[in-house]
Amino acid sequence: MQIFVNSKYDFVRWRFHAVAFSVLFMLLGLGMFLKHGVNWGIDFAGGATVTLRFRDAVPMDRLRADLANASIQQYGKADANAVLIRLPELTKEADYAGQTVDRLNADLNPQGNAKLDLNFYGRDRLAELLASIDPDAKGSAAAAKDYYKNVAQDIINKRSEVGIFTNMSQVTSAPGVTTRIAGVLNEKTYLGTFNVLGQETVGPQVGRDLQMKAMWAVILSTLAMGLYLWLRFDLMFGASAIVCIVHDVLMSVAFLMMINGEFSLNIVAALLLIVGFSINDTVVMYDRVRENRRKLKTRMTLNEQLNLAMNQTLSRTILTSGSVVIVLIALLLFGGKVIHEFAWILLIGVLAGTYSTVTIVPAVAIAWNNLTGRKHDIAGPANRPTRVEPPPRQDAPPTPSQRKRKAG
Amino acid sequence: MTRGLLWKVILILLVLVGFAAATIPTKDNPEPIRRGLDLKGGTHLVMLVNVGDAVRLETDQASEMLKAQAKKGNLPIPVTRRVNDTTFVTALPPDTPTTEYEKIAKDYLPSFDESRTPDGAMQFKMKTASQTAIERDTITHTVETIDNRVNALGVTEPYIAPEGGNRLVIQLPGIDDPARVKDIIKTTAQLQFRLVEGDAAPDAAGALASVPANMKTEVDVLPGTKEDALGRAAGTEFYAVRKTVTVTGTDLKNARVQKGQLGQPNVGFSLTPDGARKFGDLTGANIHRRLAIVLDNRVVSAPVINGQINESGVIEGSFTQQQAADLSLVLRSGSLPASLTTMEERTVGPSLGRDSIRQGVLASLIGFIALVLSVLLYYKGAGINAVLALLLNLVILLGMMAIFHATLTLPGIAGIILTLGMAIDSNVLVFERIREEMRDGKTVRAAIENGFSRAFGTIIDTHMTTIISALFLFQFGTGPIKGFAVTLLIGLFASVFTAFFVSRVIFDVMYKAQDRPTEISI
Repeated sequence: MQIFVNSKYDFVRWRFHAVAFSVLFMLLGLGMFLKHGVNWGIDFAGGATVTLRFRDAVPMDRLRADLANASIQQYGKADANAVLIRLPELTKEADYAGQTVDRLNADLNPQGNAKLDLNFYGRDRLAELLASIDPDAKGSAAAAKDYYKNVAQDIINKRSEVGIFTNMSQVTSAPGVTTRIAGVLNEKTYLGTFNVLGQETVGPQVGRDLQMKAMWAVILSTLAMGLYLWLRFDLMFGASAIVCIVHDVLMSVAFLMMINGEFSLNIVAALLLIVGFSINDTVVMYDRVRENRRKLKTRMTLNEQLNLAMNQTLSRTILTSGSVVIVLIALLLFGGKVIHEFAWILLIGVLAGTYSTVTIVPAVAIAWNNLTGRKHDIAGPANRPTRVEPPPRQDAPPTPSQRKRKAG
Repeated sequence: MTRGLLWKVILILLVLVGFAAATIPTKDNPEPIRRGLDLKGGTHLVMLVNVGDAVRLETDQASEMLKAQAKKGNLPIPVTRRVNDTTFVTALPPDTPTTEYEKIAKDYLPSFDESRTPDGAMQFKMKTASQTAIERDTITHTVETIDNRVNALGVTEPYIAPEGGNRLVIQLPGIDDPARVKDIIKTTAQLQFRLVEGDAAPDAAGALASVPANMKTEVDVLPGTKEDALGRAAGTEFYAVRKTVTVTGTDLKNARVQKGQLGQPNVGFSLTPDGARKFGDLTGANIHRRLAIVLDNRVVSAPVINGQINESGVIEGSFTQQQAADLSLVLRSGSLPASLTTMEERTVGPSLGRDSIRQGVLASLIGFIALVLSVLLYYKGAGINAVLALLLNLVILLGMMAIFHATLTLPGIAGIILTLGMAIDSNVLVFERIREEMRDGKTVRAAIENGFSRAFGTIIDTHMTTIISALFLFQFGTGPIKGFAVTLLIGLFASVFTAFFVSRVIFDVMYKAQDRPTEISI
């Protein structure tokens, strides 16, 4: 199977339309930004989240009453009975999530600590309880502790398997539970109403630091990329590559604004990846331009050079972006909540990267060329300068001096 | 097959077997690729060490030293006032010769610079080098103490390290009771034995009022837990205790949970020889008086001294079994030189981690299969080549992670499959080139030869750009994102090897055997 064999699309012609489209898209994102502001995640804004799974239906009213300022939303599927509670931003450093969990535990599990809550606590507490009673008469040696630790681990694994314990028979059906242990469990433990899936607290200082770090990471990596391409190619390519990266990042951010997505650490990771990956199409295309110049037989304007290279590399561009897009769609559909937005932003970034390679990059390069006296329109052999150069070997990369002369 | 080619095939097989072996779990190494906290469950903490505490303590000790030496030299005892963490001033009584004090400062306060304030008072400011040294020691000591504590808790493979800016990163895999662990880590555990003056009172003013007039400046008023007749906590009361502290937690040799007469848990301690001597002097000279046991500026209990105590004693208080166990643990592991503030906490429960792995692996498998199918469909025979290279890439990636003890995180799983999606790019670049060469009428061998050599520069460039951004990602990221950057970096290096070397060898094996191959499945 082959696609785009000997295609002759005039990409360059559409560059102004594309610029208009991109500007419009970004303006739309800007509009959403002005309307809603940035939906900073707790990584940057500071604050806390607590994720809980309930034994029965989520007691929404109780939660709302207990946590006045919190936003509470369903986590995962509806029948999972799980919620993500987000607490407002912190003004000073404190263990916000831990305090919230304690408060909810006191309110929703009024039995208190008279018995051990097997849905709330984990392996270590349970192991200690079992070891202190020692139902299987293992003595007090270290081996006994390990024995009960393993039993406790089995029980907690069982809990992970079923999600949350709903009755004691689930607990006692865990592999390591003997009849005597089951007796102790029935007597000394109970099943509380919820299990803490996860909790996070990010203090205001860490949030501020991360904002700065994220911003610098994106800016510096963009500049580093431009610098690399400038050294590897020339200034015009480096500059248009930077514009291309900025474009791809802004398009992704604009999309995030449109879906009012949360700006989290994962999003920054996606943006940094876009910086490095979406530029690849541009690099491949420029490589082709440079190679074509070396064996140029007739006069060719920059517009023609770009069109030729873009058509030559078109099938590669589509295939590579296509394979990454396939992977991203799989992550998007099956990867779960944590990587969902990450996959979305990467998807937009990769698509934007491919699109900008055939539209924005030529637009910038051509504008640059027109402003700097059309130095990149290469003359054919008939008009070449008199100095004779050895014909470049087909399989060897050009020496730097060759590259400079060809490019200039 | 020529000799050179045979060696290349052997090399590839060795690489395959070597990296695959690294990923196989053994008895000694049941988890060759370590899972990160987000997959295994556990707690990630960032704590700020309030190094100012330790600096302030040093400044206070210096001003006490100045007074003590003045007293020794029969000089008027100066009144000192701390201006900030590093500086204290003393206004000398009028007409005292300052030279004596300057001599004391020179001999006994070497880490302070002495100067004069505009109104003639002596000012002592800690030297910057000394301050830096104290701060550095404080961090080191804090790391050691926390390390002792989490080890005593039985946490496996904890990670505790300074991060710059006086911060510590603490990673505790597998713990499932974060509240308790945080309490244990954060307890300063500064234990002091201090004599009580006057009587306990329900408020601070009352406690101070019961102190004799000449002692009022020599005491601190501290809160404590009031107990009812059964030893249960019942509100707060206040004690006036002597400022002088002779015996502290550093004099402890050991501490453990004991049962009291009524079966209630308490903490028994024994003292070092030096501590026992000091404790013996203190208790022997103050029989029938009350001795406050102060933990982190709170009176735990204030028993009456019934006789001289030398080597061991008991801390009683209204403890639960758990509290008594935790207190003995922190006393054994020593006190923290400075208080800690939690700046960041991320805890993942064991079941959430399990869900994440399941979803991450499922998504990756589906993505991988889709990738393989589309490559096979598009490139036919050469597609098999690309898939083999891809599989080897995966083996190398996992093997490298095992060898370098890299941590696999949830974004890392996404990173692996994404890396494979990108690694295909190298194959695509080469294959497209080969197709072009074939269209230009080259022979199969020449087309393969040119395809690889022409694509080389391009592949290096595309890898370099992604490597640059992965490095920034590594530099920027914390925890899970670092894991992502690592998998990405390893995968990129592996893909240069597989796309260039391995894929080329596979082509050679397929087409060099034929004398003059005329067709290539691509």
